[in-house]
Amino acid sequence: MADRLTDALVAPLADVDPSSWAATLEEAKGTLAGLAVRRAGAGPFRVTGHEIRAALSSDATELAAQLPFAWSARTSRRALGLAAVRLLVAGDARSPVEAVRARLEESCHWVRDGSPCASQLDRWLAGLSPAGRAAVGAEAVTWATRLWCALDWPALGSTLTIGRDRWWDSPHSALLALRGRAEVRTDRANLVVLSGPRRESVRAELALVTLVDSLRARDGAVPGRVVGWWPDSGHLVRVEPEPAVLTLGAEAVGLVLGAAGAPVRSAA
Amino acid sequence: MVIVAPRPLLRPAHLDVAPADRSNGREVLALLRGDTAARPRFDPELAGGLRAWLEDAAYEVVATRGEHAPPVFLGAGQLLGPPAGWRDGDALSEELLLSRLVHALFRQLVNEGGFDHPLRDALDGLRASGAEPLVRHIESLAPPARSALSETVASHAATMREMVPRFAPGWMPRTSDRVAIPLAGGRVVLHGSFDLLVGLPHPGTASLCALGLSTSGPWARERRCLHYLALLETLRSGTPPFRLALLETATGRYGVEDVREEHLRAIASHLCAWLATGPHG
Repeated sequence: MADRLTDALVAPLADVDPSSWAATLEEAKGTLAGLAVRRAGAGPFRVTGHEIRAALSSDATELAAQLPFAWSARTSRRALGLAAVRLLVAGDARSPVEAVRARLEESCHWVRDGSPCASQLDRWLAGLSPAGRAAVGAEAVTWATRLWCALDWPALGSTLTIGRDRWWDSPHSALLALRGRAEVRTDRANLVVLSGPRRESVRAELALVTLVDSLRARDGAVPGRVVGWWPDSGHLVRVEPEPAVLTLGAEAVGLVLGAAGAPVRSAA
Repeated sequence: MVIVAPRPLLRPAHLDVAPADRSNGREVLALLRGDTAARPRFDPELAGGLRAWLEDAAYEVVATRGEHAPPVFLGAGQLLGPPAGWRDGDALSEELLLSRLVHALFRQLVNEGGFDHPLRDALDGLRASGAEPLVRHIESLAPPARSALSETVASHAATMREMVPRFAPGWMPRTSDRVAIPLAGGRVVLHGSFDLLVGLPHPGTASLCALGLSTSGPWARERRCLHYLALLETLRSGTPPFRLALLETATGRYGVEDVREEHLRAIASHLCAWLATGPHG
């Protein structure tokens, strides 16, 4: 697995015709500019991969019926797992168990000392009993170990970003923002850890990562490929940076806004 | 499979374990570890062959049910029947409650090395895992029933404390590692969860060990569950685990065995038969 996934991330990128890319990016920007979104008094609308999945998947009803967000071992495992992998990559921890433990202790210190670094997650963790924290830690250890063992980290190069989402705020409407989520970013690729079933919408979900990176690039540079990976099954899906991917991403955003019942009006 | 009643099997050996008075845990560890130089290399075509076999069976299911029928999710419960004492449609049988509590404690034991008050810790663990309805149900039990449950959990906990090895962090122990293998384009999904996996995957060499926990048995069923999980790991990573361990927490009985191709072929054959005739229409 380590070889196959790492190979997908480090493989050279195919050349993209710059004029075709630039033209498609302008089209995508035009499409997004045409979508000034207002959701019936709900305030700003953020489009993430989750919204795209919900709008395009056959399990949309199931996704929509999810309970309101609450912290649990499951909902916290990604944040804690990513923090642990950061420690491992930096050489500040020798194993996922040690890294997760350090992160949990950090939470408790921050909350106890009233640090401004303390987040809602930290406060929730600090309020748990030792056994509750152990359950949360166990879930995060499994998440982190799977990612840590899945990659040949030295082969990815030194310019690594672990678990930083990227946002693009529409310059045409303060109500629209897009989020590109990736767990590991290198100078030529983004790794997205996927969960749930394999689904037709996944390419559109990953296209959003390409779209956000492209919209944020000041020089119109072509971003890296996006590799989606299901740890449960070992399956990979690669989305190469091609003009068609920008179109796919912009269309998916449009479908999300349509599916949300948002009134669409021109931002011009 | 080496099956061991709760009695010493191996003499104490020099092992990479934290100092703790858990001699039987060391034996389990020694059996799991085995001779690291003799870990088997599996035919790289094995996983592909098994997948092709299962894909054929899954496509037959899709052809019968229709392409737009909901996916078939197939876990060990459907394939091998429920564990002893579990009743269909009874989501909160005593055996199920016990299993959830003991598994929560097991995760704590592996990651933290111990626990204080078995029932209370298990409930806290389940609560943090989002299993509030289950926790509320247990907390609402009548005092005698709750007391009996607490004693039973304590008994299983004592067995685990004695028998479950303390794994060095470098072994990368991870609990509740879920596997889900889609077949026929996702119309059939084989799924399961390892109670514990240790080791680092190495392409071409079987390098993972899995430990399964059984609270109710029967032993033969639980052993086949591990074979099923070994098959899923083979499909996921291309290489099976090299060794499986099963611990019965009620009795302390445990067994360790190497994964062999015939185990994988036998369970794959059973799966194909289930797909051909099972109640998924």
